[in-house]
Amino acid sequence: MKKNLKGNALGKTYPGAAKILLKMKLTLCVILISFLGGMASESYSQTTKLSLDLKNAKVKDALGVIENQSEFFFLYSEKLIDVNREVNIEVQGSTIEKILDKIFEGTDVNYTVKGRQIVLATPEANNKDEMSSVNQQQKKVTGKVTDQSGIPIPGAAIIVKGTTIGITSDNDGNFSLSLPSDAKVLVFSFVGMKTQEIGVEGKTTLNVKLEDETIGIEEVVAIGYGVQKKATMTGSISNLKGAELIKTPATNVSQTLSGRIPGITSMQRSGEPGADDAIIRIRGTNTLGDNNPLIVVDGVPGRSLSRIDPSSIESITVLKDASAAIYGSQAANGVILVTTKRGKPGKPEITINLNQGYNQPTRIPQMANGSEYATLLNEIDSYDGRTPRYTQEEVQRFTSGSDPWLYPNTNWFAAVLKPWSSQNNMNAQMKGGSEQINYFLSVGSKFQDGYYHNSVSNYKQYDFRSNIDAKVSENIKVSLDIYGRLGNTQAPTRGYGTIFRTATLGNPNIHAIWPNGAPGPDIIEGSNPVTISTNAAGYDNDKVYTLNSSFKIDVKIPWIKGLSLTGSANLDKSFQNRKRFETPWEVNTWDKKTYDENNIPVLNSAIVPFTDARLTQYMYDNQSLLLNSIVNYDIKLDKHGLNLMTGVESRVGKGNNFNAYRRHFVSTAIPELFAGGGQDKDNSGVSYENARLNYFGRVNYNYNEKLLFEFVWRYDGSYMFPKENRFGFFPGVSVGWRLSEENFWKENLTFIEDFKLRASYGQTGNDQIGEWQYLSSYGYSGNVYNFGLTEANKLLYEARIPNENITWEVADQANVGFESYFIDKKLYVEFDYFDYKRSNILWWRNASVPTSTGLSLPRENIGKVTNRGYDFNISYRDKIRDLGYNISFNAGYSRNEITFWDETPGSPKWQESTGKPIPTNPSDVSQDLYYVSLGVFRDQAAVDSYPHWENARPGDIIFADTNDDKVINGLDRVRNEKNNIPRFSGGLNIGLTYKQFDLSVLFQGAAGAVRYISTESGQIGNFLKDFYDNRWTSENPDASGPRAFNRDAEYWRNNRNTYFLRNSDYIRFKTMELGYSLPATFNSKLGIRGLRIYISGYNLLTFSPDMKDFDPESEQLSLSGQSQPYPAQRVINGGISLTF
Amino acid sequence: MKKIIYKRIIYYFIGFFILIQFSSCKGFLDKQPMDQYGEEAVWSDLAMMEHFVNNIYWNIGHSFDRPMIGVFTDESMFDPGSDGGHGNVMKSLITPSDYGVFDTWSRTQKMRWEHHYKYIRACNLFLDQVEGRTYKNEELKKRLLGEVYFLRAYHYHNLVFLYGGAPIIKKAYGLKDDFLAARNTFEECINFIVEDCNKAAELLPLKEEGSNYGRATKGAALALKTRVLLYAASDLYNSNASWTKGYANPELIGFVGDDRNTRWQAAKNAAKSVMDLELYKLHKGEPAQGDSVAQNYDEVFTLNQTSEDIFVRTFTQSNQDWTMNIGQQNLPAGYKGWANVSPINSMVDDFEMKNGEKFDWNNPEQKADPYKNREPRFYVDIFYDGAKWRQRPADVIAADPIGIIQTGKYERADGTWLGGLDALNNPVTTWNGTYTSYYLRKFQDISVNAPMVVTTIPWRFIRYAEILLSYAEACIELGEYSEGRNYINIIRKRAGLPDINASDSELRKALRHERKIELMFEDQRFFDVRRWMIAPQVITEAYGLDIKYSYGKVKPTYDIIHVQDRDWKDRFYFFPIKLDEMNKNKLLIQNPLY
Repeated sequence: MKKNLKGNALGKTYPGAAKILLKMKLTLCVILISFLGGMASESYSQTTKLSLDLKNAKVKDALGVIENQSEFFFLYSEKLIDVNREVNIEVQGSTIEKILDKIFEGTDVNYTVKGRQIVLATPEANNKDEMSSVNQQQKKVTGKVTDQSGIPIPGAAIIVKGTTIGITSDNDGNFSLSLPSDAKVLVFSFVGMKTQEIGVEGKTTLNVKLEDETIGIEEVVAIGYGVQKKATMTGSISNLKGAELIKTPATNVSQTLSGRIPGITSMQRSGEPGADDAIIRIRGTNTLGDNNPLIVVDGVPGRSLSRIDPSSIESITVLKDASAAIYGSQAANGVILVTTKRGKPGKPEITINLNQGYNQPTRIPQMANGSEYATLLNEIDSYDGRTPRYTQEEVQRFTSGSDPWLYPNTNWFAAVLKPWSSQNNMNAQMKGGSEQINYFLSVGSKFQDGYYHNSVSNYKQYDFRSNIDAKVSENIKVSLDIYGRLGNTQAPTRGYGTIFRTATLGNPNIHAIWPNGAPGPDIIEGSNPVTISTNAAGYDNDKVYTLNSSFKIDVKIPWIKGLSLTGSANLDKSFQNRKRFETPWEVNTWDKKTYDENNIPVLNSAIVPFTDARLTQYMYDNQSLLLNSIVNYDIKLDKHGLNLMTGVESRVGKGNNFNAYRRHFVSTAIPELFAGGGQDKDNSGVSYENARLNYFGRVNYNYNEKLLFEFVWRYDGSYMFPKENRFGFFPGVSVGWRLSEENFWKENLTFIEDFKLRASYGQTGNDQIGEWQYLSSYGYSGNVYNFGLTEANKLLYEARIPNENITWEVADQANVGFESYFIDKKLYVEFDYFDYKRSNILWWRNASVPTSTGLSLPRENIGKVTNRGYDFNISYRDKIRDLGYNISFNAGYSRNEITFWDETPGSPKWQESTGKPIPTNPSDVSQDLYYVSLGVFRDQAAVDSYPHWENARPGDIIFADTNDDKVINGLDRVRNEKNNIPRFSGGLNIGLTYKQFDLSVLFQGAAGAVRYISTESGQIGNFLKDFYDNRWTSENPDASGPRAFNRDAEYWRNNRNTYFLRNSDYIRFKTMELGYSLPATFNSKLGIRGLRIYISGYNLLTFSPDMKDFDPESEQLSLSGQSQPYPAQRVINGGISLTF
Repeated sequence: MKKIIYKRIIYYFIGFFILIQFSSCKGFLDKQPMDQYGEEAVWSDLAMMEHFVNNIYWNIGHSFDRPMIGVFTDESMFDPGSDGGHGNVMKSLITPSDYGVFDTWSRTQKMRWEHHYKYIRACNLFLDQVEGRTYKNEELKKRLLGEVYFLRAYHYHNLVFLYGGAPIIKKAYGLKDDFLAARNTFEECINFIVEDCNKAAELLPLKEEGSNYGRATKGAALALKTRVLLYAASDLYNSNASWTKGYANPELIGFVGDDRNTRWQAAKNAAKSVMDLELYKLHKGEPAQGDSVAQNYDEVFTLNQTSEDIFVRTFTQSNQDWTMNIGQQNLPAGYKGWANVSPINSMVDDFEMKNGEKFDWNNPEQKADPYKNREPRFYVDIFYDGAKWRQRPADVIAADPIGIIQTGKYERADGTWLGGLDALNNPVTTWNGTYTSYYLRKFQDISVNAPMVVTTIPWRFIRYAEILLSYAEACIELGEYSEGRNYINIIRKRAGLPDINASDSELRKALRHERKIELMFEDQRFFDVRRWMIAPQVITEAYGLDIKYSYGKVKPTYDIIHVQDRDWKDRFYFFPIKLDEMNKNKLLIQNPLY
């Protein structure tokens, strides 16, 4: 519990700062309101003030000066307008209208200002189709400008190449332009879109789809505390557009990254609604401790990646190497930066997305049927020397259906799980703005149902976002972002662990539900998975309210060009209100012999597992306040570009929680604490506080955008360390060389348009370690000891002895790579090799300190891990007539190795962990020690001929005598070097567009991880069908698998061995989306801007040759199979996206 | 107007900016944990120190914690289905490199070397910290000191009788200390434990009552001393390591030199010192007219408090660790217990007949009705086919309105077999059942609807019967037969059994038999079979019963069936020291035969 809170740490604020902040907020509020009220309609033309002082200048030049001084551009025909006329203008701080009035005073030229575009015309031109009269011999081209998805783009500029003749598209994206006879090429451009040049010869209609500009080197990418052009980036940084993410119909963003970013591995261990975050690793595993990357949403760490609405994400950037050093002590595992969408000037654009999906488990194990299970039980009986419990005839009855009461054949998964469960995702967004105020507003809702029939398990989310940017004056910009979310997870009181455990061990020879519909029997401690997955067992309703707010002010210092200051205050709060109401439920048992007068079996029901309902209520209140201020200085001198940035940031977190419990509810009608009984009440609570303070900066230099250099640093202070060691310095340096900008390259290697070599080296830290290691500390245990007959006494224990020398965990990260565009920028290749060394890893010196000391050691900075690997991305995009396609393949490989830690001396070589990859659970290194299975003893002769476990018999698994001492014991176990995190993972993305259709497909795969497969089979429960098919029997002595067993009873069941260890390598058809956009003609009829319908799928097919019964991303924690995972979803989804 | 606002904003902003830049004021990063206490807060406050001591109590091993260690003896077997390696223990396959279940289960983990040393450190830390400090309440300090000496002795005694001589560590290590420590001799360890017991006895009150009931007392300290001296005088530790095939360090695993009578005498004196306190007596030691002897004996375990209790741990329903819910663990399948413990024939058959005769399967009369006329303790300790117990759970009650244990199976008209409600293959639950046709009844409170309701009877670490039996044993070993016999008969009297008259080795046998029955499942047998060196004879293949009711028959047949492979290896007289620990501490010497 406490751990969860830590992320949103809190702390005290400074009263002074808060006051100023408050005043500023008030001031801003007033300004904002006045803007919103009165100035929303103001345009660029009204706010832009120009000063001109021109004597005897040609009109043409005057217009040029205006274009240079502002963002205005003029469209006119020289044939119509005399631009060589000379004028005198002297104005100070005038609006464009006034200036133009002056310039064209006394002429018949009139002008129209549309945003930044000014069209000059004469009356005759205005009377006709704009400008068509410029030249009667001109031909006319009409068409429509849309984006990739077919949504019309109003205001796109269409210009005849080499001239200033042009026009903008209308509200429906349509245009009609008369061309001079010599016009050959039209240039289509729009803010944020890639400029396109299209030949017009012989054409009269042109429908143009503009692509987002973000493809390619001109793309601007968010990096820590700033943005950078991809062309001049020197770090290993990957970027993903929000538009890619929403192709995955998952309700959790952390699941959508899989296969899309080179070097990112994600594993979805559980699919339980509300608790389905994927584990994310950037470039594998680097430390013995916490390997989670830092997530930064709109500049603030600690916000949720998973629960953000994917359609409000503009982009996701992943800092993989030393470029993350700007985040210093939290950056060692890489940084994921999420940037949400913001408004752009333009008319309000409203988009509504509706998705309805259906999900089901990707995999559920295929279990043995009634007869097969009965056969296995008989075999166990005979191995144990008992008389087999069933006759052959009885065995058959379990599947013949002749006596469904006495001889059922239950498929437990079918009884517990629905074939399909529903999920939906809806949101509405509005964005737009003027020169002063831009806004992005979004509201959304999500729902995901659990798999169970009559499920009590689901996740609901409602959220809203308002990102507002206002330009207060030429030099002052402010932003206010507010985001709110209610996440509501409802779960059964007996968790999925119990439900999937009991469903997996569900014995097919007993009923899940009685044939007459009565709730089924008690399986384990009253738990019948069919019953406990419904509200019969009560519910656990967890509501978490999150509020993220950011206020940011950006001031250009007017008297020093290029210097700006930015300050922001970010207050995040989250509250929990969770109610866990446990109610007893009904089970029915039949003694298999009592029938009523009609010969119907008599069931007896009971209320289990207790008699009184219990209610626990949990609440927490967490807060994090992040304040930062940044100085930025940008200067360009000739070919030298220099950017200096430095800042300071403080973050304080605090929070508290409490819970209260009552039982002995007489009635379940009112699940409120007051209604509980007076006996056995309980409650608890705790708070926390933390603080971080850091200074950071970046120096960015480029020579002609060709030679690139960057230095980032952070001086980080954390409350976690003792005073003397509280601050750490983390630098990162990177260099780049765009060889393609060199002349020798341009002359000789023209087919490679852009080629950049880059290298980086840096030190980052990891402060995700246990708190308070430097303090001696005593804590209360959760247990009590009773003295007297009833008094519960508290237990205080020594949590650890202090380590006063504790300091940061340090990551040395080196990266070299290149990126390159070929063949008209159609082919893109990026490759990186990295070599990371983590040192000062906080680890316990337990392994070399004898336990006779009784010490609970603190962690010390002793561990060292290296991690090396590569990642790459190859993509190709092109168009064949109407068929546009892109295909990209990305992958990453990493292999780590513990170079030093505290290992007990004297283990045999094959069990050592130093020099090997990090174990699955570094705190329990023996978990990765396995007896090596050499197959199965086919007969007694085989048993006799090889060293074996005492009393081994035919059908048992052969354990290798690794050390050749003729005895099988613990020393024969061998360290398995693979753990539960794949070493290789990659994705293949394919995108196709054809006319109104678009298709995108993602295949994703991973390799190099293992999973232990074990079920609680035997007397207690069922076996996998796969086990049944491959088991040893005396009739089938050459089987690949061992004999039937009773749960943990055999040595090869209660000792980890490689027979049950499987590779979880897989390839899956991860996502698919097929869309159809309504043609523009229909749109205008319907009065909309765009309509797109699509179907999509997630986890559609999975190929994992060594693991057929479980999802390969899932995990089994216990040796005996007592915990079974909630499988991930396969989703089929249909959606509609409507834009006004 | 606007301009002024802008300017003001710029000024504010710069002010704000500067403020943040200089916000690194002192103490900004000074935070304190709010869920933990510092050293001073604990050691300056006796109330906190008491909480610290409570935690050491909590970590004393006992067998309401799962699993009862009787499953590692000839008393019973564990459900092989959830075995977790229990079967390997019964084949003596615990080795320095593989501890099996001793590394995984709650009870068995508390038997390990590292566990004991962890709480020995807690004791040492307490003693180190208290030294030199003064407290207002010296009385309380004295009591806590006494408890800590007792607790240190308790942990050491468990350690030494499992591992032999172990390093005697009397201080709390700091990070920079030299951690290596050699094993002390067995004799040094015994002396050290006895010394701690003596210190505790001096400091502790005679009685604890009210909310302190359950804390160590003078009697507890003396009783622990009795147990330690009795064990120490036993065969295993006085065998001159003859069974070890030439172990080079016999002083680590027993006494060297022959002074055994003194040792028995010391044990006898210690027992006598407990008896002389005159605080304890057997519960209903003299059955009154009309008493049910079985009921009397049942109360010894099910009452919250009896005159026999010397050192106990009480439980309440709330906050109880799930592993310590004995009703849940041991009740029969048809009562929805977990059926963890199946007593085996070698235990069950040892209960005498009511008249003091041995039970014998070869006696046709006894074989036909094996549960008839057995001694009263049998009916308290064992659930057998046909035993009467309480009302069944609601969904089973119709099948058995009376509550009769059914561990047999019944033939149907069509020749198929249906297990009884508590049989291995029963209609109530699939996941457990007895493998021997027996369950453990001892420690079950018939008045409690367990496992629906958490069982809260106390665990008796030491009760007076043990002291009497220890006294008797010491006497017998000293040749004081009549004294020894008298005390065995005191125990037998309460159990409603006729006196015995044996002497010499027969008397020793009788004592050992009495101890096995009287202290069954009280964590004694595990040590007794070792110290008496009878393990090779008793840790052998395990048997149970197959009980069958043929169609239409009211009387079943009983077939003895093999239920578990077992194999004793002499090395298992002691636990192996873990290979890791050996490697970490080069001064250690491994126990013999590993």
